[in-house]
Amino acid sequence: MSIEDRTEAPPVDVAIDLGRLRRVGQRPGFVEYLGQLWNRRSFIFFDAKARVQSGNDKNILGSAWLILTPMLTGLTFYLIFGLLLNTSRGIENFIGYLIIGVFTFQMSTRSITGGAKSLTGNTSMIRAFQFPRASLPIAINVRELLSSIPVTIVMLLFVLLAPPDEAITWRWFLILPAIFLQFVFNLGVGMLLAPLVLKIPDVGMLLSFVMRIWMYASAVFFSDQRFNQYPVVKTIMDFNPLYLVIKSMRDSLLYATTPSLRDWTVLALFAVGALVAGLLVFWRGEESYGRV
Amino acid sequence: MAASSTGDGAAHEPTVVADDVSVVYRTKKQPSGRTTTPRPLLGGLRKGGLISGQVRTTALRGVSFVANQGDSIGVLGRNGSGKSTLMKVLAGLIIPDTGTVYAASNPILLGVNAALINSISGAENIRLGCLAMGMTHAQIDAKFNDIVEMSGLEDEIYHSMNSYSSGMGARLRFAIAAAVDPEILLVDEALNTGDAQFKDRSKERMNQVTNQAGTVFIVSHSLETIKSTCNRAFWIDKGDFIMDGPPDEVAKEYKNFIWRINEGNADYGRQIRAELMSTVPPLRTRLSSGRSKGLS
Repeated sequence: MSIEDRTEAPPVDVAIDLGRLRRVGQRPGFVEYLGQLWNRRSFIFFDAKARVQSGNDKNILGSAWLILTPMLTGLTFYLIFGLLLNTSRGIENFIGYLIIGVFTFQMSTRSITGGAKSLTGNTSMIRAFQFPRASLPIAINVRELLSSIPVTIVMLLFVLLAPPDEAITWRWFLILPAIFLQFVFNLGVGMLLAPLVLKIPDVGMLLSFVMRIWMYASAVFFSDQRFNQYPVVKTIMDFNPLYLVIKSMRDSLLYATTPSLRDWTVLALFAVGALVAGLLVFWRGEESYGRV
Repeated sequence: MAASSTGDGAAHEPTVVADDVSVVYRTKKQPSGRTTTPRPLLGGLRKGGLISGQVRTTALRGVSFVANQGDSIGVLGRNGSGKSTLMKVLAGLIIPDTGTVYAASNPILLGVNAALINSISGAENIRLGCLAMGMTHAQIDAKFNDIVEMSGLEDEIYHSMNSYSSGMGARLRFAIAAAVDPEILLVDEALNTGDAQFKDRSKERMNQVTNQAGTVFIVSHSLETIKSTCNRAFWIDKGDFIMDGPPDEVAKEYKNFIWRINEGNADYGRQIRAELMSTVPPLRTRLSSGRSKGLS
């Protein structure tokens, strides 16, 4: 009935001058969106930095935990596997092998989970301000990258100091491109998942199990020779980007081998592919994120 | 040049145009009846928990209006009438299911639950909020002292936001949102939490916006606030746009309506509502492009 009632009053004509008025909240073109993201880079870095600092504020030792956590984790592994069990599982320098695997994979777990939950976890921010929403997963990944700096340093110290100690070679620098590609890949996967988690929150619950299976497929704490008799598993592992990251780090740090060109290419393709797909998917849903 | 229908020159240029805006929320249906009744674990799934468990609630139904430069518009309505949804739509945070909002610049929404990061200090939150709105570090440095002064916080600005009272938090948010010099400012109940000193300051700030040919929307349950700060008022009820007029008149009709409903004479109340609604003229928008820009 309300609609018929309305027609009683004579309609008012309004001219909308599109030179002066713009549609509110309209999703910009993809290239313009990237430009907007670039303009918010200060916001992204500040948000990331603030969250790194505030992450440990409740603890008395505060930011010292950024170093203490990986150190204690490494010491625990050393104590159990190096001193108590004295096992090597047939792996040369097992402590180093294990620490590189665990620390590197943990960075991906945290980044991917954080990126996937970046929309559901920041509703207050999304409701308060109008900004390109992709800033949120990017900020979370930058935060994880920043907090992985002390972790990486501790990791290198363990490789260097825990027996058998390894020598520093020029190949140690190769972990930098490996970490960078890992960061790009994590970011892309997080942006692919974030709209899905917002739509179906249950995906977020499943994610931790998927990450656990992924961890077992990345040879984090057992030898990658283990699946030699199963060619299918071996092939999957060879195309598992996180395994490739861990493998190239171990090659460079422990075994003084240069990671193969094939590994770099596969890893780079995965990283770039995930980022492009993630950006496109995230941008396509941009208008729907305010509706939480 | 192209906008000839509004006529009266620069003072009445439209800043916000809502054209037939409708918003429908889809929420999960909760089982009715006693909440203490145990729910079958799988029954929720089987009995359409995944399929037909959604309820559609119309939050806004065909809302149209034109807001002009210098307007200070109070939005009245009962709880759940769609006021906050309207603010979110105007700010571009929710895209309406049908209809479009046009605005001369990016409207800034100031809400009560616009939380920042609670574990960092007020000062850092100022920087974070301003960066989120697209300001640069240099611009923030230049305005930082003004923002702190506007917020009325002194040494507390360097304390973590966890230690703030709700009023202090609201003041800080208002100061941050007002810092970008918004041409269009949307204020959602944010004034209710402040003390007298803050009310004066924020009123002053809103006047400043309207004096600079901007537009302010204020959602408030206080008829006095709306009468004293606004030159125009909207009344929204259950998603319908009921009335648009001078604050005194709208407040009078609104009070009358509420009184009839409370008194038990709901039918008469509904009649008032329908009559008023019918006097709102429908809007016919015509797109004219100053620049040639196609619209889908």
